[in-house]
Amino acid sequence: MSSDGRSVRILPKLDPSSTHNFIAPCKKIHESQDVAAFLVSQAYTDIMTFLLQLNRSMFPAKLPDGTEQAWPIGTDAVQFSAPIRQLQGLLSKLEDLIQEVPPNTGPRRFGNISFRKWHEVLEERASGLLREFLPAELLDAPSADPEGPTAEAELKAYFLGSWGSGQRLDYGTGHELSFLAFLAAIWKLNGFPKSEYGVEERAIVLGVIEPYLELIRSLIKTYTLEPAGSHGVWGLDDNSFIPYIFGSAQLAPAVNEADLTPEEGSLPDAPDPGGVAKANAVSRERRTNLYFSAVGFIYDVKKGPFWEHSPMLYDISGIKAGWGKINKGMVKMYNAEVLSKFPVVQHFPFGSLFSWDRDPNAIAPPTTVHATSGPQARPVVPDGGFSATARPSIDAGTKAPWATSGEGMRVPPMGSTAAPWAAARGSGPPVQTSALPDTSRMPPGPMAPTRAPWATSQAPPPPPGGDGPTKAPWAK
Amino acid sequence: MSDLDRAIEQLRACRLIPESQVRELCYKARELLIEEGNVVSVDAPVTICGDIHGQFHDLMELFRVGGDVPDTNYLFMGDFVDRGFYSLESFLLLLCLKVRYPDRITLIRGNHESRQITTVYGFYDECIRKYGSANVWRYCCEVFDYLALGAIVLGASSELEPTGPSLSDTTQSTISFDDGELKTEVLNSHGEVTMSSYRPRMRSSSDTSTDSRISPPRDISAGTSQTGPPLRTGAPGTGASSDGNGSASNSRTGAVLCVHGGLSPLIDSVDKIRLIDRKQEVPHEGAMCDLLWSDPDEIEGWGLSPRGAGFLFGGDIVKQFNHLNGLSLVARAHQLVMEGYKEMFDGGIVTVWSAPNYCYRCGNVAAILELGEDTSNGGTIARSNGEYGRSNGAMGQDMTTVVSPGRRYRVFEAAAQDTRGMPAKKPVADYFL
Repeated sequence: MSSDGRSVRILPKLDPSSTHNFIAPCKKIHESQDVAAFLVSQAYTDIMTFLLQLNRSMFPAKLPDGTEQAWPIGTDAVQFSAPIRQLQGLLSKLEDLIQEVPPNTGPRRFGNISFRKWHEVLEERASGLLREFLPAELLDAPSADPEGPTAEAELKAYFLGSWGSGQRLDYGTGHELSFLAFLAAIWKLNGFPKSEYGVEERAIVLGVIEPYLELIRSLIKTYTLEPAGSHGVWGLDDNSFIPYIFGSAQLAPAVNEADLTPEEGSLPDAPDPGGVAKANAVSRERRTNLYFSAVGFIYDVKKGPFWEHSPMLYDISGIKAGWGKINKGMVKMYNAEVLSKFPVVQHFPFGSLFSWDRDPNAIAPPTTVHATSGPQARPVVPDGGFSATARPSIDAGTKAPWATSGEGMRVPPMGSTAAPWAAARGSGPPVQTSALPDTSRMPPGPMAPTRAPWATSQAPPPPPGGDGPTKAPWAK
Repeated sequence: MSDLDRAIEQLRACRLIPESQVRELCYKARELLIEEGNVVSVDAPVTICGDIHGQFHDLMELFRVGGDVPDTNYLFMGDFVDRGFYSLESFLLLLCLKVRYPDRITLIRGNHESRQITTVYGFYDECIRKYGSANVWRYCCEVFDYLALGAIVLGASSELEPTGPSLSDTTQSTISFDDGELKTEVLNSHGEVTMSSYRPRMRSSSDTSTDSRISPPRDISAGTSQTGPPLRTGAPGTGASSDGNGSASNSRTGAVLCVHGGLSPLIDSVDKIRLIDRKQEVPHEGAMCDLLWSDPDEIEGWGLSPRGAGFLFGGDIVKQFNHLNGLSLVARAHQLVMEGYKEMFDGGIVTVWSAPNYCYRCGNVAAILELGEDTSNGGTIARSNGEYGRSNGAMGQDMTTVVSPGRRYRVFEAAAQDTRGMPAKKPVADYFL
């Protein structure tokens, strides 16, 4: 519980009366080992804080009269403030842009080349759009250093990162993360009105994030965007993650402000989680629930048995302990499979609002071997037989990169028989439950020590998944 | 019935074999693969297939359309695993077939046949889910290290024997049949011709085409009886004559290089591929990496790949590589193409993609490429075998006249899905415990 008696921490806002130095955001995560630094950075703390702040607000509320207030999509119980409506206007401008840039009808491989044009137009107009829909005093917030950039430089970076890649014609959870950061940046800059906890948060989720997700689905369908870094059926979802977090929260048990966030159970009239495998339940629930609306999109774009093309969601639908349990798992999974994955977070830029500086309260993750998907990762020596260690080839031009580049110096020690990730979750029953860091409820801070989840849990690397060309996991 | 035949039967039914059998299978497969060169020589006729990605039911559809092993001689260009739900069933079946009929099926390595890639893109998770441990994943990865990097198809015919009835409304003949030899034919999964193209028949004094017409046709696709009339090919007979230059070579069809991804700036000859020490995890860069990761693109020369591994290469690169190596065609996979196959650079390279409705959502069709056997000159193997240097010197005159093989693409759609029952829900990932 946070010091002010609430059971959730709130992302601190900048003090308008004090000076601040903005920094044009730039890339800091260059190789997979940098992810460890990210996980103890202030940026990570802020992102998790904001995510959990929004998540908690979506849990139904216990009202004084003993009834329960849920927060379905379209509910009258959530009012949209002026800044929320402005952001809706921004999203609707981007939707109009789709009409302006129709998909190319010529021969194509998969992703539609017109999306590149859509993205170019967006980049051209970004400054104007932000100026049209965000207050000038927010965009023009100056640095204390007169040479420094204004807040706009930071906002624009996260805004532009939110719409997939015009170059690769793909969209994934890294872009979704960028939009979350864009909203969190506006929050930090006092762009949302002061109000009682939950009011603006719910409006952000239902009034901005939900239409954002709809717009993204429209982009994916119109331009056949590929999932960024696809795991096929072995991911949670080809493109998105946060609707599964907020959607499960919508169906979890109701809470009072002071209640700890429930870790199991469901709202009394919540749909059965098993409904995701039933087309009629999905078409009914998708109108009011973010989780089912994400599943509904899968039904829209995929042909085949649900259990086969979405085995992870299918398995989760068998959980008996309710939507609270699913919500807790989704937050943990987001932490491990999105925020802790090099291919996803490598493009995230860091400035002053999301700072690369170490969070003094963060606890260093253990320096365990982690060999997934980053430039440092290297193949493993298999059991017996030929040594599969890389050797310089006879072909003079062919050299194992780590044999000559000096990268070998950074390769952590590892056993000679097994992939470290295999050892971590190898044979036998899963026993990592206790090893999973408890970042699911409280962001890192004095109360909740953060440990890099990937360092110990090594669960499957699911989201996103699908049909894009394989990118090298070590690709920058 | 041997254990192996039993395993094949079981896997064909999409049921997994016990871990101990996988271990044994992988051991046998390694013993077999270790004897193969980096570039396997394969004689036509052969059916060339692209990415499978664990789409087991679609692989069964592929066998239905292309014929069964061992009746049809197959060459799979890698990416058996990852993304699909049935990577294990698919790869283990192919491996069983390889061990059972080593001369009738060739498997080469794709970029997904790698430890690092399979841990990111799903095969590792599938092994854990289906076997409860990483053992089977380890056995499979050890096999991956031994897979060949490419294959050279020799003795392909330049001309196809027409298949039979065509869908007249969609047939697009550039030249009438009488005037040319059938160069390319596209068939749908019912064996109906949907497109055919001809190359002009070049006359010369030694034209023997008339004779060839009466030579017995050869069936390149036994086992496809359900797909209509038997397919014929291998009656080219025009042999060297149609070069029109009096070349003395006894076959004018150049060899076909098959590789998963494409070319490498470090590889200017097929022989250079043979020098690679392949028995290792796929490196992040270098020749071996490029062969498995590169893509052709409408550029000149070489370009950076957006994949972060391998390169992009243009038509000039392909033309020069084929020319220097006496190749008529590079067949590769690695990229989704909506039509199942895509020829580029005047037919110098083709992408073959064999995973229909990829990832359940792409709406693409799949294709396989059949190359017929050249029966002219008693089926003597082509002179162009991709060996570096052979096309220099005395053969220099021929280089511009290497004729591409006749290509028959069989296009097919995703298998019907209504027959698959719903399994019990599995225990969820640790996050949800």
